[in-house]
Amino acid sequence: MSLPCGIRNFSYHTDIAIIRTKTQWVLFMLFVLALFVLPIYLPRSWFDTVNSIGILLVAVVGLNILMGYCGQLSLGHAGFMAVGAFTSALLTSNLHLPFLLALIISGLSAGIIGLIFGIPSLRVKGFYLAIATIAAQFIIIWILQNWTDITHGSNGLDVLPASILNWQFDSEIKQFYLIFAIAIISVLFATNLARSRIGRAFIAIRDNDLAAEVMGISVFSYKLLAFFLGCFFAGIAGSLYAQYRGHISYEDFTFQQSILYIGMLIVGGLGSSLGPIFGTVIIETLQKSLTNTVAPWLEHTMTFMPTGFSSGLNLMLFGLAIILILIFEPRGLAHLWALFKSSYRMWPFSY
Amino acid sequence: MDILIQNITTGIATGMVYALIALGFALIWKSSRVANLALGQLVLISSWFTYSMLVQFKFPFWLGIILTMAFAILLGWLIERLALRPLIGQPILSLIAITLGLAYFLEGFTAFIWPQGQGNLPKVFPQASIQIGPAMIQQELLWAAVISLILFILLSVFFKYHRMGIAMRATADDQLAVQACAVPVNRVFSMSWIFACVVAAIGGILISSIAAINYGLVETGFKSFSVVILGGMESFLGCIVAGPIIGLCETFGGSQFGSSIKEVIPFIIIVIVIMIKPFGLFGEERIERI
Repeated sequence: MSLPCGIRNFSYHTDIAIIRTKTQWVLFMLFVLALFVLPIYLPRSWFDTVNSIGILLVAVVGLNILMGYCGQLSLGHAGFMAVGAFTSALLTSNLHLPFLLALIISGLSAGIIGLIFGIPSLRVKGFYLAIATIAAQFIIIWILQNWTDITHGSNGLDVLPASILNWQFDSEIKQFYLIFAIAIISVLFATNLARSRIGRAFIAIRDNDLAAEVMGISVFSYKLLAFFLGCFFAGIAGSLYAQYRGHISYEDFTFQQSILYIGMLIVGGLGSSLGPIFGTVIIETLQKSLTNTVAPWLEHTMTFMPTGFSSGLNLMLFGLAIILILIFEPRGLAHLWALFKSSYRMWPFSY
Repeated sequence: MDILIQNITTGIATGMVYALIALGFALIWKSSRVANLALGQLVLISSWFTYSMLVQFKFPFWLGIILTMAFAILLGWLIERLALRPLIGQPILSLIAITLGLAYFLEGFTAFIWPQGQGNLPKVFPQASIQIGPAMIQQELLWAAVISLILFILLSVFFKYHRMGIAMRATADDQLAVQACAVPVNRVFSMSWIFACVVAAIGGILISSIAAINYGLVETGFKSFSVVILGGMESFLGCIVAGPIIGLCETFGGSQFGSSIKEVIPFIIIVIVIMIKPFGLFGEERIERI
């Protein structure tokens, strides 16, 4: 991490701080303030987008731990999210557990399911692991679809909005604060995790797992830990999703969603704490504006095309975005941002 | 007894369809070590293209097939040239992710051009069922099985004896050494993608003339990953052996536990195989060094 000129650290405490200069503190405070007052000025139609950004952020942060830091591809993240969503829904509506407890338990249950499907990572990696997680996705969704006694199949479950100590989160604005409180906690947790012993072990495993093993890192337990943490976050996100939407069924957690999360992470930047934020905000905003604004307009103007053609637009552009980012900027938008920052700081010198 | 034989024949025949799709995967993996996760989407897009040619533009059958093959060749060349070639030498994560991006793109593209989501090809094969001993089998499935067998033999012979096939195997083994021997690696890669797209197109025409063209083709693509995993990634023989095994498991599981479990059996097999014998029946076990 580069420091501006003239900043010196006199203790380890200041050396490892995330926010180090007065300017950064001011900017950080302004950001928090802006986030806090955002719901007051936000148009009503945007709440849905902003809240889903918050939920997706939690899921993608989890995926970033697993994929960005530890290098284990997971193509079943939506499946793990579904585990969390259904656990939380069942716990709050059938057993009437308090929301926070259900949130933690749903994270744990998704994490444990993730552990089971992470076991093959001991022996296989790369493509084999990708296929194993695809299998996880389809198996989980199939179970949710067919275990109708509990999940009600395609009818789905109704979920009450969250409540913490008689405080009901029953409006979009209240939901915003709940979702973003949890999202910020998870981003901070993941950022700090990446700088800790565990995070460094993850990175070593990502770069070369054999070398990491030789260096004395227990590859298997760290890989499983990565699966557990990644899926834990997916479970938390699922729980948030369930109580925000108010109704869930297995159809909300498709394989396409799983790819969407990976795409967000790739566009944002793998293995950086800013990556998930960039990815979710940009992709989700683009997708929502495409479906809500651009697609109806296109349908209206381009009448020579068959009706309904704009439904493919989202998928197509998103796939194109993944391909272009991988070819031209494999380290994602977060890397572009870092380049911009350093060139801004060094201007007018190139480095 | 009759039901047993019935199940066996349908199982083997449906399995051969999976095997056919899996052949396209093994082709690319054998020559460039790229895992193509866009299998189902390639099948989907070439089926829709055939649909356009035969149903929308009403071309005669032979012309439609020739145009589809030309389209598949162009598609394979374009994919390799535009998406895969810039990524040569990148980590495996990028290679997997780019085929995912490709999958998304192709899926969106088909929805863009053919938004109706459901289409029927004219029937290619005679409809009447054939009596084999006590069992009845759909003739179409039999034809599909025969065609995938022929393709398997052709591909195996090609890889074993043809110069290009040998170059493909060598490229997969050691790219640098092969380059030093003046093998045009780029052409090897684009040939392998072209072949894979042609195989996918043949598979698409077969499957969608038997059933309908819809999103289910993509799921068939996912299911055929189980063939790839069970048979071993780099083995054509693996595909042709594992395909019927998967098909048999599917039909027997379906008749034993109700038909909804059919959807998930290939994936359960994937998990079991990866846990027990990750390199499959005929795959090479790779020993890694630092």
